[in-house]
Amino acid sequence: MAAMEKVSTPRSGAHTVIGSSIVIDGEISGDEDLVIQGTVKGKIDLKESLYVESSGVIEADIETANVEVSGQVTGNIAASDKVELKADCKVVGDIRAPRILIADGAVFKGNVDMDVKEAKGK
Amino acid sequence: MTVATTDGTTIIGESILISGSLNGDEDLTVRGRVEGTLTLTKTLVVEPTGIVKAEVQVKNCVIAGVVVGNVTATESVEITKEGRMVGDIAAPRVIIVDGASFRGRIDMGEVDVESGAAPRRAAAAPARPAFRPAARPAAKPEAKKAEEKAAATAPKVPAPPAPVAMGAVKRKVIVKRR
Repeated sequence: MAAMEKVSTPRSGAHTVIGSSIVIDGEISGDEDLVIQGTVKGKIDLKESLYVESSGVIEADIETANVEVSGQVTGNIAASDKVELKADCKVVGDIRAPRILIADGAVFKGNVDMDVKEAKGK
Repeated sequence: MTVATTDGTTIIGESILISGSLNGDEDLTVRGRVEGTLTLTKTLVVEPTGIVKAEVQVKNCVIAGVVVGNVTATESVEITKEGRMVGDIAAPRVIIVDGASFRGRIDMGEVDVESGAAPRRAAAAPARPAFRPAARPAAKPEAKKAEEKAAATAPKVPAPPAPVAMGAVKRKVIVKRR
């Protein structure tokens, strides 16, 4: 799977960190990994991976390749590859991705759709 | 989660665009783009690849990239040699080094204006009540006018050039002419 190779090589050099005291109200877009420890409201549009850490709070629609959530997300998530809900995360919204992982202890409310993106992603 | 290594510092990577408002209580490093408003209680660093098109309100600001918009800092603004900025700066300390490019206004506050004006007043003040408090201030403006008149009509008396030094006699002459 080509998609897997792409995910397994995270770009360690250039990545963006939104610190815990930061509040962003608006739109974030980019082509690199994004780590969120703070608060983001609005919209997130990435071509790489999004990491929502345990202190991270997101009230936004998310469109990325890959999402890992340890914090809180309110909004719809659309990933072209994978969404991973870790233990202790809280997610409210619909998830659309070919691969979705929900760990023991994760809190989730919403719809899951694993089909659409794979059909589109051809 | 191998990526999370930095604590207390926010980094906006090169390919990232943030449009909207950004608020925070920690240092922020911008290598990408930020548009909108940016409010921090700590230091903003715009690196050479960074572009900020925003109303910026911070404590300290170091510009090595591009900033378009007004910057208000409670402490300092520094434009490094790679830095380019268009907009107004309001900060008590502003540092612009050789090689930096900047267009806009700078306001360092009221402090400098007052301290600059104070010596001027201090220098002027002792001159007035030096010898005769009443006579001197009256003599000065008259002396100037007298000089002008003397030059225009007839330079009879060589008195007008030195009215400041001498007291009563010269003054009488001047008063008569007026």
